[in-house]
Amino acid sequence: MYSIETKKLTKKFKDKIAVNEIDLNIKQGELFALLGVNGAGKTTTIKMLSGLILPTSGEIIIENMNMKKDIFKIKEILNVSPQETAIAPNLTVKENLEFMAGVYQIKDKEKKIDELIKQFKLDEVLNKKAKTLSGGWQRKVSIAISLINDPKILFLDEPTLGLDVIARKELWKVINSLKGKITIILTTHYMEEAESLSDRIGIMANGKLIDIGTSQELIKKTKAKNFEDAFVSIATGGEL
Amino acid sequence: MRMINFAKRNFKELIRDPLSLVFEIVLPLFLLFIFQQFDIPAENYRLENFTPSIILFGFSFITLFTATLIAKDRTSSLLIRLGTSPMKSSDYILGYILSLLPIVLIQNVLFFITAIAMGLEFTISIIPTILISMIISIFFISLGILIGSLVSEKGTGGLGSIIVQLVCFTSGMYFPKEVMGGVFEIICKSLPFEACLTIIQGTLHNDFSNLTLLHIIVFLIYFITVIFLSIITFKKKMISDNK
Repeated sequence: MYSIETKKLTKKFKDKIAVNEIDLNIKQGELFALLGVNGAGKTTTIKMLSGLILPTSGEIIIENMNMKKDIFKIKEILNVSPQETAIAPNLTVKENLEFMAGVYQIKDKEKKIDELIKQFKLDEVLNKKAKTLSGGWQRKVSIAISLINDPKILFLDEPTLGLDVIARKELWKVINSLKGKITIILTTHYMEEAESLSDRIGIMANGKLIDIGTSQELIKKTKAKNFEDAFVSIATGGEL
Repeated sequence: MRMINFAKRNFKELIRDPLSLVFEIVLPLFLLFIFQQFDIPAENYRLENFTPSIILFGFSFITLFTATLIAKDRTSSLLIRLGTSPMKSSDYILGYILSLLPIVLIQNVLFFITAIAMGLEFTISIIPTILISMIISIFFISLGILIGSLVSEKGTGGLGSIIVQLVCFTSGMYFPKEVMGGVFEIICKSLPFEACLTIIQGTLHNDFSNLTLLHIIVFLIYFITVIFLSIITFKKKMISDNK
């Protein structure tokens, strides 16, 4: 069964087509990476899939529910960790977790919060205001928050952007631990991140999904030396 | 209730910003205190008239800081996260309004305690005055939501300051509109601030002889229009900001 299905998904902004007739099928528990150069349409696709903006045309089916009809039911079962750190700056880490637990009306919120504190080792920063944390910690908290409602689908929009190597590896570990349990859609500019974490990779250019497959399949198809070269070859249409 | 949860978060954000507390509470209190030291021989500055003026002055800063909070929220990724959650537009708008009402209540109570300490007679009409003020404050909060939805965080400072000045000079807080006469008088009558002050003063004095039908009509038109526009604009901006 597919967790996410799109049929001819399109988004136009005035005359510009940001996303152009994308057909996508993502399996339950799959970690799917969406790659592309800047302006390829990745973030717009994620915003449509997460219900933040409406498509101009086409269809989105999430866990057998239609985005047009069941948007609020769908929003209950997904979560997003946006590109920039999305936390309330003047609230402590604990208060941020409590706030988002309230947003999703989590019944046993103390239990869930304790679980996340353990999973992300948040003890040492629990009572610190979010704005005083380092970029790495803020990102970690932001991802922890995105798991507050035990989402069936999680969107990670460039989760490790701007993080140092150690913080990035730590987050990879966390993302790896979620693999298979929930469906994850990841966007990233780091090729090694996509290659190392994802089950399948979709490559976008000029609003279109131009290729899809495992990293090995894409390397083989382009006869490239490594995945980065394969990506460049696909994204530029073989020009580079 | 999602709106109460959101209101709690907004309240914490606001009270943890010391600058907003200084302008919303300390500055009006200081003005109330300082103007009573000069013994100005004008009706406007008598405690029973100037305390409602200070309440209204405090509300203008509520507009300013509501606008700042919303403009700040719009630029942060937090609203993107919340936009993907099951929160509805009504949860946001009511969440913002509810978070400001406790601050309005604290403002009012502190202003009256200070005024009584300086000689204002304690009467039972203080209680309905606080209640009426809280209703009027919804107009100022909505105005803040509207401004915060329309302009950037930097822009809220400028527009908010204009509101503060308009409250000061067109409400009749410092001098009656008749002093300037002409166009100024028409502007005062066309804006809602004089009506707001007359309603608050009338409730405190338990005397509505200064309140005209025009005051009520002007206030209601602004009150309904601003609430309506703030909801529509916030909803539209939530979507367009995320494009």
